Amino acid sequence: MDLFLQALINGVMLGGFYAAMMLGFSVIWGVMGVINLAHGEMIMVGAYLSWVLNENYGMDPFVSLLIVMPIMFVIGYVLQLILINRVVNRPILASLLVTFGLSIAVANLAKLVFSADPRLTDTALSGAWSVGGVTFPVTKTAIMGVALIIMSSLYLFLQSTRTGKSIRAAAQNKQAARIVGIDINKIYALTFGICIAITGAAGALISPTQAVFPFMGTPLTLRAFTITALAGLGSIPGALMGGVVLGIVESMIGVYVPGIGTNLAIIASFVLLVVILITRPQGLFGGLRPHEEPAQI
Amino acid sequence: MRRLPRALAILLALALVLVACGGEDTTETTQAPDSAATTVAATPTETTVGTTDTTEAMMEFAGTIRFGAAVSDTGRFAREGQDTRQGYDLWAQWLNEEYGGIKVGDDHYLAEIVYYDDEGDSDTAANLVERLITEDEVDFLLGPYSSGLTMSTSAIAEKYNVIMVEGNGASETIFERGFKNIFAVLTPAGNYTQSALKALADAGAKTVVIAYEDTAFPTSVAAGAEKWAVEYGMTVLASETYPLEVADVSSIITTFKALDPDVFVGGGHFNDALLFVRAAKEQDWTPDAMVITVGPSNPEFVTEVGADSEYIIGPTQWERTMSWETGWFGTAEDWAQRYEGLWGEPPSYQAAESTATALALHLAIEAAGTLDTDAVRQALYDMDITTFYGPINFDDTGKNAAKPMGSIQIQDGIINVVAPTEAAVADLRYPMAPWGDR
Repeated sequence: MDLFLQALINGVMLGGFYAAMMLGFSVIWGVMGVINLAHGEMIMVGAYLSWVLNENYGMDPFVSLLIVMPIMFVIGYVLQLILINRVVNRPILASLLVTFGLSIAVANLAKLVFSADPRLTDTALSGAWSVGGVTFPVTKTAIMGVALIIMSSLYLFLQSTRTGKSIRAAAQNKQAARIVGIDINKIYALTFGICIAITGAAGALISPTQAVFPFMGTPLTLRAFTITALAGLGSIPGALMGGVVLGIVESMIGVYVPGIGTNLAIIASFVLLVVILITRPQGLFGGLRPHEEPAQI
Repeated sequence: MRRLPRALAILLALALVLVACGGEDTTETTQAPDSAATTVAATPTETTVGTTDTTEAMMEFAGTIRFGAAVSDTGRFAREGQDTRQGYDLWAQWLNEEYGGIKVGDDHYLAEIVYYDDEGDSDTAANLVERLITEDEVDFLLGPYSSGLTMSTSAIAEKYNVIMVEGNGASETIFERGFKNIFAVLTPAGNYTQSALKALADAGAKTVVIAYEDTAFPTSVAAGAEKWAVEYGMTVLASETYPLEVADVSSIITTFKALDPDVFVGGGHFNDALLFVRAAKEQDWTPDAMVITVGPSNPEFVTEVGADSEYIIGPTQWERTMSWETGWFGTAEDWAQRYEGLWGEPPSYQAAESTATALALHLAIEAAGTLDTDAVRQALYDMDITTFYGPINFDDTGKNAAKPMGSIQIQDGIINVVAPTEAAVADLRYPMAPWGDR
């Protein structure tokens, strides 16, 4: 029973990490229809910013969030304004290519600046709490907590503020949004900025638990892709639930299948993806974009 | 209003292209101080290092012997690839500027290394090695980093009958294919954990768990660990695999914690070492000893992991404190100081074995007195020398059968050799202290 509970806790923690990591990817896709292949690299940049602050000023990664997020917002805003806005209305291949190029460039730039040495940050929130035979990893619990705060803030922002409503309007119907006087370019830049800020924050959050290195991004992008498809584009409750479902599935298989569990868990997550894509193409929880029914002939 | 963003976009796009190209280039090879001329060949992604003008004043060279190597500059093995290149480049610089080139018969030849970035991908590496042989027409090949890439590239070397000497592919499977052109200076993977497990068994450890990445090298290490654990009277309680680029190992640690073993043996590459240490700490699991395959012997590991790296044990191909000494580069410590002087950082064993790789090939060419493949191969088989890196004596399959593998333990932030006893500079600390008491 303890083992089951432990696997469950591990799964939920993993899910919180997944949700925080893919939220920015999901919202960008949902609002603008851009699949950001440089997503993992944005996580990497956030993680490196946090490492620099940790290494030079001894700043805890959970504190450095307050600096990392504004910097990443500016990076995202500028990238959108000068690069992504130019391809957002083109066929999807254009934005795929641009963000793919961006991912290669950013990874190699990081290698020039930081070298290929893997890094870790130190946090005061480390170690473990034991509660009745079950161990709570302190760092991951804190990551889960911060991720929940970020997610609920974004949810409230999108639901209740004027700007948030404009973003949702732009996602639902761009033409209509334009007609009522919404500056689409500005809204897109704002969305991209916010999403990159969240993504950078995810990077800072995982920097004490994972090796930070220039080429860490690609597998993370792939993961974000899976969970987004599972959860529905741009849906925040979906991101959380999708992440947790995937986390628990992986953790249970990892613990209960001897020998090859961790390998099998990765396979399971992609099998789950295929099944969801076939049976519920809009994702488990729907999303920001209205689901387009295929045209009847 | 719209003009500025457009200009910026063009600038940014240009910058992106430049950086992307830069990634494929092997720019750092040009940083070698004192290597006066770095020849850049016609192909944009190729750079070479080694030929210098300064030495020609001192000695007449009959020509240049070209060595080819596909080594990671980007991708998963970027760090280890850099160590490998720096090891090769140190040899080339020493050879051309101090040693006086490779002596073939009565003539002296300069050495030149042609590099490509294999991006950590075995197919790319194989393609690049084919290109080195057919287009760049190199005379000999130096190995890439990692067993997987050595597997694929050595097959190409065999196909074209070009000799490849390597120092960074330790998996036994490389040498089980009956190839005639692959030689390795390093101790094979199966023996990686031997001295550590023997020391732990002597200290009273009874049970072992093993976790390994399911790729060539870690699989060989794990198979060896299982064999040696049984040999030294310990019981293997569980053995878990995990995939390349794993991001979370808490399931493995949870399973192991429930089994309560004395010794944890795990890992595949550097990043996994960080993951296992952090995961064990956050699951509050302290086995009596943790043996991690790659990572602990690298000085970077102590820097990044800090106090949590204490007590961690790792195998090492080479340490600068080891007592090997020869006429080439002097002692292990002499070589290490030369390396620090050139690259401004302490050497990892990957760098040491890379220099040893190039040195072995160079000495075989001199012994053969010709560039003929068959003669150099025979010279490699006949080789029986001791270098700063340890003894080199290839068996029939091309493995170095002569060199023992050491084990290190991190003690008060210092990497100390603790096994085998004849090379040890400190006693093994056992059992490990809980994570909280550091």
